[in-house]
Amino acid sequence: MHPPTRIIRTAHDAPVGRVTERQRARWPRHDLCVSRRKQQCCGLGGTMPEQSNDYRVVVFGAGGVGKSSLVIRFVKGTFLESYIPTIEDTYRQVISCDKSICTLQITDTTGSHQFPAMQRLSISKGHAFILVYSITSRQSLEELKPIFEQICQIKGDVENIPIMLVGNKCDEAQNREVQTSDGEAMSKRWKCAFMETSAKTNHNVKELFQELLNLEKRRCVSLQIDGKKSKQQKQAEKLKNKCVLM
Amino acid sequence: MPAGMKPLEKFLKKQSSALTRPGGFGDKATGGGAARRRSSLSRVVPFFRESSPESGPARELFSPDTEEAPCWELRSPSLSSDEQSSEGSSEAQWSPVPADTPENLVVALLESLAGGRRLGGCTETLLDDFMLTHPIFLAPDKFQRILLQQFGVEGKQREAWPSWDGVERKQAVFSVAFRYLDTYRELLQEEGERSNSFAKELYLHAAQELNQYPELVEDVLKLQRWTEILQSHSEEDKDVKKKQVRPLFRHFRRIDSCLQPREAFRGSDEIFCRVYMPDHSYVTIRSRLSCRVGEILALVQEKLQYSEEQPSRPGTLILVAVTSSGEKAVFRPSDEAVFTTLGVNTHLFACEPHELDTLLPLPEEVHWSPGDSKLHDMSAEEVANQLVSFDWELFSCVHEVEFVCYVFHGEQARWRPLNLELVLQRCSEVQHWVATEILQCQSLPKRVQLLRKFIKMAALCKQQQDLLSFLALVLGLDNPAVSRLRLTWEGLPGKFKKQFQQFEAIADPSRNHKSYRELIAGLRPPLIPFTPLLLKDLTFLHESCKSFYGELVNFEKMHKVAEMVRSIRRYRNTPLALDAEPSPSHLQTKAYVRQLQVIDNQNLLFEMSCKLEPKEA
Repeated sequence: MHPPTRIIRTAHDAPVGRVTERQRARWPRHDLCVSRRKQQCCGLGGTMPEQSNDYRVVVFGAGGVGKSSLVIRFVKGTFLESYIPTIEDTYRQVISCDKSICTLQITDTTGSHQFPAMQRLSISKGHAFILVYSITSRQSLEELKPIFEQICQIKGDVENIPIMLVGNKCDEAQNREVQTSDGEAMSKRWKCAFMETSAKTNHNVKELFQELLNLEKRRCVSLQIDGKKSKQQKQAEKLKNKCVLM
Repeated sequence: MPAGMKPLEKFLKKQSSALTRPGGFGDKATGGGAARRRSSLSRVVPFFRESSPESGPARELFSPDTEEAPCWELRSPSLSSDEQSSEGSSEAQWSPVPADTPENLVVALLESLAGGRRLGGCTETLLDDFMLTHPIFLAPDKFQRILLQQFGVEGKQREAWPSWDGVERKQAVFSVAFRYLDTYRELLQEEGERSNSFAKELYLHAAQELNQYPELVEDVLKLQRWTEILQSHSEEDKDVKKKQVRPLFRHFRRIDSCLQPREAFRGSDEIFCRVYMPDHSYVTIRSRLSCRVGEILALVQEKLQYSEEQPSRPGTLILVAVTSSGEKAVFRPSDEAVFTTLGVNTHLFACEPHELDTLLPLPEEVHWSPGDSKLHDMSAEEVANQLVSFDWELFSCVHEVEFVCYVFHGEQARWRPLNLELVLQRCSEVQHWVATEILQCQSLPKRVQLLRKFIKMAALCKQQQDLLSFLALVLGLDNPAVSRLRLTWEGLPGKFKKQFQQFEAIADPSRNHKSYRELIAGLRPPLIPFTPLLLKDLTFLHESCKSFYGELVNFEKMHKVAEMVRSIRRYRNTPLALDAEPSPSHLQTKAYVRQLQVIDNQNLLFEMSCKLEPKEA
């Protein structure tokens, strides 16, 4: 019988795999065990120039699927019909994090592939990812594959990284090319979460971001700043409170 | 060992930062662009007054060897008569051209070219002077009209110059026209469809006159080729430009493009730029380099999708440049081509006027992280070679007219000195790179090694006659945050200390930079001058005498300006012998040198310095 393997909570910038004693000594103890005790938002971006209490979400997807619309609908509450191709935009919003506040940083990326270096950089710095396709375009779902692969490549272990597959434009039922079941199947394959949304009708947009944050295991991030939590969140927190070090 | 901040660095810091941004920091931008630039210079050089206009055309002849021009009344306590900054000119006799209206000057030029009697062997100089400086006193449209007129298209003018032969005058017009098209080709091409109208019109009229003047046929054919050149460029340009966006700012740099030989930037080139909000969100816009600030704000507003539904429509946004140390400069909506005027780590912010005071520099400009520098693994020789090579590329991209436009900005210049501004930015970048590398190095012995390396690099740049990087390296080492590292400097071997002291002596600004001027006078081309000082000289010249006396153009001033540009031309008229394609390891060095990451926040540099060697109580 093999001795049980340590389950490692990997910080983004730490190597994947077994943690040696030396490495563990570098991290504050709390990081190894998600507990209710007050813990720093640490281990993320320790030596990065960004503030360590940023929580970075990156949105990827083919051109025209609605990435910007989703982000802007969430951040500003507005929706415009006109299409303005994005190069790279980043929005910031204050959210709650482990009973204090931190900044949610949402990076909206380009659908084209002009800046592979910039894309790699966003992935390596990101904490959570939203992969968007349009239900009216099967092609746009296919285009997410190389992006997912790149995330796996750069991050290594994606098990503990919140990733949400999003089928946008669900208001355009008449033009549907991708069935809900297809999206679900893909998400099962990738072992990530899945949701269909519409930025136009504001369907599931807030839920998308809240759910994404709920997937974060390393710390407790939430859109609710006042401390009131939804039943769902309370349940999720209860699970997280169990120490899973073996 | 440097005890404190040297005057030159202090001056040049103000110089390059003051002249590369529109308006002073610390005050709200007011007044015209030219006025702002002038005030920033007078802050730096207090001894300065404009000459009084002279009446009448009579002027004494002066030979090129006396440096004192009659209209140049620069007064500086450090200035003695034999230390003026004019370069010796290599022309034969030059008889000064009396002040006259722009139109008459054109006619005088044509007369000279047509073998007229007045100016003899100085025709080439006159033509060159005119070509380089005419945008200062003559709008392009007007200039083109005068030329067409002189060609005789409007007829009946011939009586005014009875001594001219018809052919000679027309040929003179051709000479000027060709020279004009050649010099301003890129600018004309920027204007798209309009650009060709002058060449076409002249061609059409010339073609009509071929029967009467068959000897013009060669010139007419040449002109036809010009119309084709201008035409084809504007057509092919449209497709090519759609795809290519040139990387200007750090975030959008691509290794593949930075390893390519540098091409000159044009106003119509498109770039990506991040514009930040007060909360440090940002949008990325795509814009022409020559874009007006008003248009930039419109793009930003579009991106932010302010819609009718929103209860509080935002007021007018303003565009602000925020340096890494938190200084701010507000742009006016009519300002153009602002991207290249920004400091190395200066970012653009869009905000509402009342939010101006809340703007803070980005976290990455205020914090730093110790890291392993790649510089330790590179040899001083290879880095110096890459510095020099890049400097040549940048310097070669600067069109002659940019030097004139830089100084006369805000007057008639339509051509933005984009590439010149990038040279200045590079100078600042190299200076701060030196300080950044040294201050990021935690280990004392390694820091001493870096000092040695930089001094060696400076020596190599000087040897290769790249005075831009040479002085930038010296000034970087003179940065007060670096020069206060007593222990580090003490660890330097005596030989290097001595050599550095010699270098500092060259950077000494006293007696109007006498040491530097002596050095450069003894060098033969090819060489890269220390560009900030070059611009200082041009600016002095501009500010010390008027361009106009009422309606009359002070052509002597134009001549002096052209003389300075000709000296720059001499510096780079010999091609530099550079090594062949570098090996893979050299490519790494090349990429590193062309993508320097620097800290230019002086407060932060000082903080880092104090951490390395705490202040003695």
